[in-house]
Amino acid sequence: MRYLLVDRILEYRSGERIRGIKNVAMSEDFLEFHFPGNPIMPGVLLIEALAQLAGWLEAVSSDFSRWFLITAVKKCNFYGFVLPGDRVELEVAAKQDEGSPLMRCSGICSVEGRKKVKVDFEGELVPLSSIENVEDQRRFFKILTREFSLS
Amino acid sequence: MRFLLYDAIEEIGKGKYIKGYKTFSLSDESLRGHFGETAWVPGVLFIESMAQLLGWLVIFSHDFSISAVMTLVENVKIPSRLRPGFRAEIQGEILSTSKRDSLGCCRMYVDGEMIASVERIIYVHSRSADSGQLLNLFRYYGGMVDRA
Repeated sequence: MRYLLVDRILEYRSGERIRGIKNVAMSEDFLEFHFPGNPIMPGVLLIEALAQLAGWLEAVSSDFSRWFLITAVKKCNFYGFVLPGDRVELEVAAKQDEGSPLMRCSGICSVEGRKKVKVDFEGELVPLSSIENVEDQRRFFKILTREFSLS
Repeated sequence: MRFLLYDAIEEIGKGKYIKGYKTFSLSDESLRGHFGETAWVPGVLFIESMAQLLGWLVIFSHDFSISAVMTLVENVKIPSRLRPGFRAEIQGEILSTSKRDSLGCCRMYVDGEMIASVERIIYVHSRSADSGQLLNLFRYYGGMVDRA
């Protein structure tokens, strides 16, 4: 399993909010044990999808100089199951106090307009170059936003 | 990736507490992409470790007659920069339980230092569970054949 929980970025406003998609496939490895005979997308991986989306928001807002790492969940409600075959709509709104190394986020996961997860979380901002190849991340962002070309 | 976020249950007290551990390895599939230039254990997996272990305590405490579905977590702290290659102790407690739901809390420690915690987890009980299957899973997953 590649630990990539965002399939597509639909739109964003720098420093403020971002929307994306996670498609849940029956072939996902984690569904074998979550749960045996009852495949349900693990709630914490939906939190991870929102945290990764917050990472992309921070990356594009900082000209790919920073990334977001989740360090706390203030509150998270799980309202219903996300199942194989679902297309999960992800939304994150971010807020950062001037000069603060922390970013606070609120996120929602929904499927066909029905809210599945609502979470308030926060984390730290780290130099992107310390964890990823920056040019690779720029290219990957274009794939997620479908701005890439094959030439 | 087998989505089992603990390795063994070491102690369990019906309706009260559970202790277990999880070893985080550099070979974990979750590190493929987290990240490309450094390996840091994804923080949300610590939430899953605590939730899975505490979930077994809830099921065990109700004699495998229910399964436990996590519906809320509150005041969670998780590490963001831990390199794999360590063993984390997991300690969970039930704060209250009824026929319908259970409330618990959980902490994780490495070398005696707390690295993750959740103040409140609520599980709703589902009565559609197959008791025999749950018991078998507990024996296999928990490694506590003589206790189940």
